[in-house]
Amino acid sequence: MYYPYFISYMVAGLVISLVVFIWALNNGQFKDQQRARYLPLKDETDEDEPPMVRAKKISRHETYALMFLAFAGLAVIAAVLFFALLKGGQP
Amino acid sequence: MTGESQAITQNYATAKGFCITSAFWMVVATFMGLLGATELMAPDLLENVGWLVFGRVRPIHINLVLFGFVTPGLLSAAFYYVPKLLRTDLYSEKLGKITVFAWNVTLVAAVVSLAMGKTQGREYAELIWPIDMMVVAAFSLVIINIIMTVKQRREPILYVSVWYVCAAVILTAITYGLGNIIWKPSSGALVGIPDAIILWFYGHNVFGLLLTPLSAGVTYYVIPKACRAPLYSHTLSLWGFWSLLVVYTHIGTHHLLQVPVPTWLKVIAIVDSNAMVIPVMAFLINIWYTAKGKLGEIHADIGAKFVFTGTIMYFFVSIQGSMMSLPDVQRVTHFNNWVVAHAHLGVLGFAGMIALGGIYYILPRMTGRPLYSRLLAVFQYWMILIGTVGFTVVLTIAGLIQGNAWLNGETVYRILPQIHVYYVTRAALGLMIFSSAVIGFYNIIRSMFFSPGETS
Ligand code: HEM
Repeated sequence: MYYPYFISYMVAGLVISLVVFIWALNNGQFKDQQRARYLPLKDETDEDEPPMVRAKKISRHETYALMFLAFAGLAVIAAVLFFALLKGGQP
Repeated sequence: MTGESQAITQNYATAKGFCITSAFWMVVATFMGLLGATELMAPDLLENVGWLVFGRVRPIHINLVLFGFVTPGLLSAAFYYVPKLLRTDLYSEKLGKITVFAWNVTLVAAVVSLAMGKTQGREYAELIWPIDMMVVAAFSLVIINIIMTVKQRREPILYVSVWYVCAAVILTAITYGLGNIIWKPSSGALVGIPDAIILWFYGHNVFGLLLTPLSAGVTYYVIPKACRAPLYSHTLSLWGFWSLLVVYTHIGTHHLLQVPVPTWLKVIAIVDSNAMVIPVMAFLINIWYTAKGKLGEIHADIGAKFVFTGTIMYFFVSIQGSMMSLPDVQRVTHFNNWVVAHAHLGVLGFAGMIALGGIYYILPRMTGRPLYSRLLAVFQYWMILIGTVGFTVVLTIAGLIQGNAWLNGETVYRILPQIHVYYVTRAALGLMIFSSAVIGFYNIIRSMFFSPGETS
C-alpha cells in the first residue's frame, strides 16, 4: 500500500458507514418518512415550553440605540476602507 | 419501543454543564483571538512575554474556539434534544456531568501546556500526547452516553438530527486519534508528506465531521420547532446526511494543492469539494423550505434567529470553499488572509452562530423561565453578525492584496504596511466579538441561576 495510514483511515470510515447504512436499511430507518418529519414537534410536553410571560417590547429608544451602534460600527469600517483606498494603503 | 409521546424526566444537568462550558470558554477564546489580532497589528507589543507570543496565542485561540466554545455549545443542544427525539431519558446524567468535568480539565490542561510552549507543532493537532488522550477519553464518554441513549430509545425512527450527532461523535473520535497519530506519543507525527496528508484529513474533518454535522443536527431540530411546522422532507435530509458522509470524509487534501502530494489524491479532493454542493444544498433547501413563510416565527425566537443566520453563513462559506478548492483560485488565495476570512465565516458565522442559537433556544426550556434578557441576546446577535461580516470583508481584501502581490513576485514583508489598516479594523471587530462573548456569558449565567422569571 502506498500511504497505509490514510488509506486505512478512508477504509475505516467507509466500512463503518457501510455497516451502519446496512443496519439502517434492515432496521426500517428509511421507511415511515412522513411521520419522521413530525418528530421534533411531537416532543412537546407542556412544562417544556417556557412560560408565556409577555415579553416587554424592546423600547423604541433601545432599538434606536442598537441601530445607532450597528450603523456606527459599519460606518467605522466604511471609513477605514475609504481611508485605506484613498491613501493607497500607506499608513 | 413505541412512537407515542412519553413523559420524560430530564434534569438537563449535562446540557446545562456544556452550556456554561461553551459560554465561559467563548470569553477566553475570543480574548485570545483579540490578543493575537492586536499582536498582528503591533508585533512588538508582548515580545518579551514568552507565554503570550503570537506562536502560542494562536493555537490557544483556535483550540479553545473549536473545543471550548463551539463544540460544547453544539453538544449542549445535542444532549438536550437527542433524548427528546428518542422519547427517552439521557442514558446517564451522572456520566454526562463527569464528561463535562473531564472536558473542562482537558481545556485547562490544553491552555497551560500551549502557553508553556509545549506543542506538537501541527495545525489543529498541537496538543501534546497526554492531552490528546484526555480529549479521546472525554469524547469516548460522550459516545457512550449518546449511543446508550439511542439504544434505550422508545422511538424507533432516528430523526436526522440524531444521525448527525452519532456520526459527529463517532467519526471524530476516530479522526482525532488517527490525525493526532496517538500511537507515536513522542512526536505525534509521521514523517514527510504522509504526515501532511493525514494531518489535513483530520484538520478538515474537524470542520466537516464535527462542527458541520453537529450544527446541522441543531438546525434540523430548532427550525421546525420554532416554525411549528414539520420538516420539509425527511428523505431529503437523509440524502444530505449520507452524501455528506460520502464526499466530506476525504477532501482534506484540498489544503495541500500547492504541495507534492499524489495527483489522484488532489483530484479526489477537488472533485469532492465541488460535489459538496449536493449535501450543502440538500440541507439548505430543506431548512429554507421548512421556514418558508414563517420568518416571523424565527424572528420572534432569538435562538432560532441565530440558527437561521448560521444557515445563510453556511451557504456562503460552502460556495466559497468549493471555489477555493479550484487550483486556479487557490494560486491567489492560499496562505493569506483570504483563508482566515473563510475560516471565521465558517467557524464563527456558521457553527458558532448555530451553537449560540442552540444554547439560547434550549436555555429557557431547560430552566422553565424566560431568558434573563432577550435584549442582551439580540445585542450579542448583532455584534457577532457585524463582527463576522466585517471580518470577512476586511480579511478578504487583505488576502487579495497579499495574494496578488505575491503572485507578482513581491516579498511577504513589503506588503505588510499595505495591509496594516485591515489588521487594525480586524482588531476593532475582534473587540466587538469579545465584548459580545462577555455579554453572552453574563446573560447565560443570569438566565441559568438568577433569572427571577421576567423578561428584559
Ligand atoms: C463545501 C464546504 C467547504 C469547502 C469545499 C471548503 C474548502 C476549503 C479549502 C479549499 C480550504 C483551504 C484553503 C487554503 O489553504 O488555501 C479551507 C480552509 C478552511 N476551512 Fe473550509 N470549506 C468548506 C466549508 C467550511 C466550513 C463549513 C468550515 C467551518 C465550519 C470551514 C472552515 C475552514 C477553516 C477553519 C479553514 C482554514 C484551515 C487553515 O487553517 O488553513 N470550511 N476550506
